[in-house]
Amino acid sequence: MTNDTSTGTVSAPKPAALEEKLEEQAFKLSAWMANQGIFIFTAALILFAAVFIDGFVSLPNITDVFNRAAPIGIVAAGMTFVVISGNYLDLSVVAQVATAGVVLIAVSNETSIPVAMLVAVVIALAYGLVNGVAVGVFKANAVIVTLSTTFIGLGLLRWATGGSIYFGPSDGAIRAFGATRIGPLPLAMILFVVVTLILSFVLTRTTFGFMVRSFGSNREATRLSGVSTPWVVIGAFTVTSLAAMLGGFVLAAFSNTAVSAMSDGYDFRALAAIIVGGTSVFGGRGSVLRTLLGVVFVSVLTNIMVLSGLGFGIQQMAIGLLIVLAVSVDALARKATGA
Amino acid sequence: MQMRRSRLVGLFAAGAMVLVACGGAADDGAVDSADAEGDTTDADGGGATDGEEFDVFALLPQGNDQPYGTTYLPPMEAKAAELGINLTITNSQYDADTQASDCEVAVASRPDLIILWPAVGDTIRPCLSAADAAGIPVTITNSDVNPEDKDLTEAFSGPDTYGQGAASAEIMCDLAGGDEIGIIMVNGLTGNSTAINRESGFEETIEAECPNVTILARQPGDWNKDDSQIAASEMITAVGAENIDGAYAADDTMVAGVIDAFIARDMDPADLYITSIGNTFLGNPLVSDGSLDGTVFQSSSWDGENAVVLAHEVLTGQAVEDLFMPSVKVTADNADDPDVAPEW
Amino acid sequence: MTDTQTQPQHAETDDARSDLISRVRTILGRRTEGRAVALLSVVVVITAITEPIVFTSYEVTLGRIALIGLVALGLTAVILMGELDLAVASTLAVSGVIMASFESITIGILAALGTGLLIGVVNAFFVIVVGINSFIATLGMLFFLRGAAFVISGEAPVRLANVDAGIAFGRPLIGPLSPRMLIFIAAFVMLHIFLTRVRAGREFYAVGGNREAAHDAGIPVTRRVFTGFMISGFVASLAGVINTLERTAADPTAGSAVLLASFAAAIIGGVLLNGGRGSVFGTLLGASSLGLLQVALTLSGVQVDVQNIVIGSVLLLAVITDPSSLRAAAGSMRALVRSRSGP
Repeated sequence: MTNDTSTGTVSAPKPAALEEKLEEQAFKLSAWMANQGIFIFTAALILFAAVFIDGFVSLPNITDVFNRAAPIGIVAAGMTFVVISGNYLDLSVVAQVATAGVVLIAVSNETSIPVAMLVAVVIALAYGLVNGVAVGVFKANAVIVTLSTTFIGLGLLRWATGGSIYFGPSDGAIRAFGATRIGPLPLAMILFVVVTLILSFVLTRTTFGFMVRSFGSNREATRLSGVSTPWVVIGAFTVTSLAAMLGGFVLAAFSNTAVSAMSDGYDFRALAAIIVGGTSVFGGRGSVLRTLLGVVFVSVLTNIMVLSGLGFGIQQMAIGLLIVLAVSVDALARKATGA
Repeated sequence: MQMRRSRLVGLFAAGAMVLVACGGAADDGAVDSADAEGDTTDADGGGATDGEEFDVFALLPQGNDQPYGTTYLPPMEAKAAELGINLTITNSQYDADTQASDCEVAVASRPDLIILWPAVGDTIRPCLSAADAAGIPVTITNSDVNPEDKDLTEAFSGPDTYGQGAASAEIMCDLAGGDEIGIIMVNGLTGNSTAINRESGFEETIEAECPNVTILARQPGDWNKDDSQIAASEMITAVGAENIDGAYAADDTMVAGVIDAFIARDMDPADLYITSIGNTFLGNPLVSDGSLDGTVFQSSSWDGENAVVLAHEVLTGQAVEDLFMPSVKVTADNADDPDVAPEW
Repeated sequence: MTDTQTQPQHAETDDARSDLISRVRTILGRRTEGRAVALLSVVVVITAITEPIVFTSYEVTLGRIALIGLVALGLTAVILMGELDLAVASTLAVSGVIMASFESITIGILAALGTGLLIGVVNAFFVIVVGINSFIATLGMLFFLRGAAFVISGEAPVRLANVDAGIAFGRPLIGPLSPRMLIFIAAFVMLHIFLTRVRAGREFYAVGGNREAAHDAGIPVTRRVFTGFMISGFVASLAGVINTLERTAADPTAGSAVLLASFAAAIIGGVLLNGGRGSVFGTLLGASSLGLLQVALTLSGVQVDVQNIVIGSVLLLAVITDPSSLRAAAGSMRALVRSRSGP
């Protein structure tokens, strides 16, 4: 019965709920530690690479790291909103990134870039609305809702376009955007940082951001305080969708091509970056800036492994270990402070 | 056992309907009953009568979800319609277990023939023996089976994926012309059969015919331009731009990424030896403008069409041999020829 | 607030009516398989009309159900405790590869199943001892084990040393039933008995419903969670072993469709992701609906893109038409209206 009256998707396991009162004091310390943790990890990794890996500290290589980081980073920054709102993740970013990329190139080839972007925005809003309504209004489980919208979305994209590769004119504006650099920084990377800063501002300084965070840490209290929770959830999913769309633009612009399989694995890769950054998958705790750090960390690690000639299997194993390690450190630190 | 009985009942029903139809209206009855009882047409030629209509299952690992499959399907379907073949197409998305299950479905529905494009070459023997036990002939398209499984298949049509890697390597050997050169290698999706075959085809040919070409580094590019571009750029950093004289990528999409990576490093692709496979809409212009030295034409329409042609030859009892797509090497000399016009 | 003032006279009848409705809802609410039964009935009726061969060659359909259902059964044990195991697909792949690496099939099978159990222990260790959320721990394992499968296999399929044994394994054993289906049925029966008749199994529900209360009631929560993850790991590796035998080779990329399909099967079957509610019977129904749907769509020759649209829509409809979802939606609508009229 109690299960029925509370909302259907409360995700925090019971021990965490018990700790909630300690959370207030523990939060600052653990947040500090987790922040320092990922910061120290990243710094140590970069230092290690700079000393031992030939060519790591070179302009082109730093550009590569940023090129790796930008599209997935923008997606992850947006998905942070869904995670912090306590809804696990948005699996449908896979479909959204691919759709945005294909729409940008295919539609702009037929008409113009603004029209293509407009179409993509409409699609992104539709994704945000469908996911958000199903999760926020119907209180359906976010994993299954976004799983089904992934199926539907990718199915529709492939039904409409087949699996064809679309590529833009080699002297077009999309190509120019993808190739432009300011100093060592690809334009995409600057966009990633700007998006992160904007989203970070939204999450920390606006009422909407406050509602997302408080909804994630205690949704029942948020509901009782009179906040209209469906709108918070719809908002969080819409932010994610818009970011996924931008990520799709950046990915398509970087290679000037788009194909429906271009974003395979973006769902769990984005989540991995968010978690490595130290955002809690229980919701409530975390920040967009941490996601930035997490994305940079994973990109640097992958870069190091490719530079060292390690195979794909080892790369996957290292990323898996890293996720568990990063979170273990955080959990053990919290245990130590909580006890 | 119950199954067999029900199929028997179905057959009787079909026979009865044919009789009734023949008694009533002479001509169109046969067509009607063939349509209505499509499920019961049996492997041993029961359905293949006057109109020569055949039911064929095509078990493919890709379709409208990949660039190649998207342009493979329409010619296949068109040819099937022309030859009176009723195609049922499945797509396992390169999942061996899904394809095995698709195969069970296909065998159970008793088509006249199965066209198989193995998702994972090593895993299809059980499917072949199940079809064999049911008396359903199997032809292979696109990627041939292992030699030891060959006796369970009628014939193969398609490109020789190993041979494509080898052909690309031969272009590379010609380009190197005996000089000691170093290249970087970008492969397809890790674990994918085509990726594995092309990689070994290229590597083994290099080792055999021009050991003066050294593969300095290799990474997967996942058939994607962007992944390949970053991986190539990182490999350039790892081995040093001055040591690199060229590159090989397992398809044209990825080689386009490699070329962009070179350009971003101020290395002129025209001065480098670069080869690939595909001759696609993306790759062909790169050959024409000199940045890509050579690629190997893979025609998706040839592949799709001949899968059905071969199946039809088997069904009509003609003696058949393997149909190999010619591995035409496309270089600056012939890139603008109409017979190597890109298709996908 | 303003709403209640405008209609005080209806309050009593409303109360009586909502009391009756809520009682019916409670009765319905006790069973968790309602949605799966509804979905399965719809799928059965439609396929019976359009593709009757789905039933005449039922062993094929059963094979497909066993393919997606087996992993889902093991997963159910974990989900019932409010935990998740995202690593099942990678566990399947890595245990298949390990099995095929051994010359002897027996040793290979034992090694693979042992690997599955070990993976379960490691998952549970991170969740219980280290105290990290199972979603994250198993996400890490998802990457790690997939990478391990590639490293062990040398990034290519590994063929069994004894191909004929594998082919023999795929043949029907009893009537039209192949060993895969018999194992699937046995796994279902055993898990069903374990979770409904055995005390340790019944305690899974308590652990998932309210972990603190379960702990206070003297239930060894730690041991139960370990058991749950070991069941899930074991069943996933069992599926890996069966797949490897039936295909005569282990593919390091295997299981790509398994993870999401098994989650879908469990959730359609009414297993609550937060734990405490659900049944393996529900999971079986969920897997059956998905399996039937897939076979019917395959037979009708519908391309994968359209298949995905259909399956995705069915899933979405299934989750939002859940009674609790509809109730939540009604509540949300009221909240929306109120918040609109408020200011």
